[in-house]
Amino acid sequence: MDEQLRVIAVDDEEGMREGIKRILRKKGYDVDVAEDGESAIELINQKPYDLAFIDLKMPGISGFKVTEYINEDLEKNIVVVIVSALATVEAAVEVTRHGAFDFLVKPFTPNDLIQVTDRAARQCRLIRERQKYLSELNSERNISRQMINSMQEGVVVLNLRAKPVLLNPKAEFFLGTRFSESLEKDDLFKEKNIRDAIETIISSPPKEAKTRIFRLEENEPVLQIRIDPLIRGDETGGAIIIISDVTEDWKAEQDKNRFVSMVAHELKSPMAAIINYIDVIKTGMFDTKVDRIHELLDRCKIRGETLLELIQDLLYINKRNAGKIEKSIESLDLREVLEHQMEFYRGQTENRKIRLSLEAEEGPYTVKADRADLDRIFMNLISNGIKYNRENSELVINMHREKSYIIVKVRDSGIGMREEDMKNLFQEFYRIRNKRTSGISGTGLGLATVKRVLSEYNGNITVASEQDKGSVFTVSFPAVSA
Amino acid sequence: MPKVLIVDDDVDLLEGQKIFLEGNGYTVKTALSMKEGVEALESFLPDIIIVDLMMEHYDSGFVFCKKAREIPGLSDVPMIMQTAAPKETGFTFDASNPKEREWMKVDEILTKPVPLNRLKGVIEQYLGRSKKDG
Repeated sequence: MDEQLRVIAVDDEEGMREGIKRILRKKGYDVDVAEDGESAIELINQKPYDLAFIDLKMPGISGFKVTEYINEDLEKNIVVVIVSALATVEAAVEVTRHGAFDFLVKPFTPNDLIQVTDRAARQCRLIRERQKYLSELNSERNISRQMINSMQEGVVVLNLRAKPVLLNPKAEFFLGTRFSESLEKDDLFKEKNIRDAIETIISSPPKEAKTRIFRLEENEPVLQIRIDPLIRGDETGGAIIIISDVTEDWKAEQDKNRFVSMVAHELKSPMAAIINYIDVIKTGMFDTKVDRIHELLDRCKIRGETLLELIQDLLYINKRNAGKIEKSIESLDLREVLEHQMEFYRGQTENRKIRLSLEAEEGPYTVKADRADLDRIFMNLISNGIKYNRENSELVINMHREKSYIIVKVRDSGIGMREEDMKNLFQEFYRIRNKRTSGISGTGLGLATVKRVLSEYNGNITVASEQDKGSVFTVSFPAVSA
Repeated sequence: MPKVLIVDDDVDLLEGQKIFLEGNGYTVKTALSMKEGVEALESFLPDIIIVDLMMEHYDSGFVFCKKAREIPGLSDVPMIMQTAAPKETGFTFDASNPKEREWMKVDEILTKPVPLNRLKGVIEQYLGRSKKDG
């Protein structure tokens, strides 16, 4: 049920005005009256009307003039019915030429009036619907536009001539250009392959046009450019280009590739060494020097064992990444854990005359952790403290509480490191290779794993060292209140 | 006896190749890092250099080759690069292309692991060639 239609009746004859008013009010219309053109215009400016009955012959401004004014100056969608005594065809033509919808011949019966009004009312309703429709369309277009404008991806739309017709704010940002009427496709994309792909897609029929994806990797952010045909019915009407920031993914890919490269390198080296030594032995040049053969075989063994260690470590990393490691977190006394670990290394340290000791202030040293993780962290450090140490030297583990953390320092008096060697110490596969370390085997994964596992507990590790004097690894591990 | 300098960060690779080449009549000096290699260049003046690509840094080998070429007497010395990772580091080097050789300053790239006999063969090829050219 639509709103009541509002009517205005303009006539200098009071009888006419009141008559129209009375009849239409009975029909439920809302009716106002005016006695001449000027007051009619005044009323129309103040209130909204849907329908106007206007007498042709009035003093002052004529009915036609009022009609013209309504249609042209005010641009109001008021349906106008001219009321006049003339009933000729010319008059009818005149009326429509002035923008009126219909006319009513005087004298008229209430029925005549009602019929004309009904016809006019239908027209009013049509007009109202059109208004509503346009407004909804606008609102939808607004919503669509808002959507496109707030997307995190850049959107570029090209027409049939490959000319940009839409560029959303994110696209402007990514491409470093603002939209303007004079923008051309080549202004947006410098790469020949992208330009060619756009041309190809636009000129292919929809079934043949294939989505093309490109990646711009030279700068950050790394952008993915995806080009699709714009389909209009059966035909290709242009192209839609979606631009996304894929920097994170790209970086992860780079990291993975680098890791794989390093793994390949680290797996090949020991095998190459072993095979080379075997080839050397098989030349027969040492057939009479068995000692030499044994030396080389010892090296083969060491490299072989390290290779096995590496494979174990890689499998562990893989399992951890896949989330398949089961952890059993328990309350543990870190001091007891360390003492236990030190026992494990007692034999090795005694062999090399390394004095292994623990200095601990008053605890408590309670932590909540998985025991295997603690082994992984600290046994790595103790093992390094033996490997990179000298004969007849010290390996001291010092622990104390600092607020909510337990600080464990593993200090050796071994070969130490230079500043520049320490920069990448916690990176995967990184090993310091110089004259001092040439006989020491290792996978290069130890410290990287220590750091990773520690970070899972919100712990941290730092290192300080002086070449030929020794190194100190400082671990901070969150404590729990006993 | 022709002099071979091998620069690599794998101590066993150095040892294995050294023993083998010495057994075949070469005089061999080994260096464990780019720094050691550079030190050996002037004192040893090798007739041919075998160098690894990735030592302390990703491109230590190339940096080393550039330095070697700057030393008088070594500007034409053949340089053979051994590397485990030619494809993974994303470079494809065409040693027969003179422009690329000019830029890379390396005469040939061998993929590790290099069988000892192949190494010997490559050395003979380059030393034989330079003897021919006087």
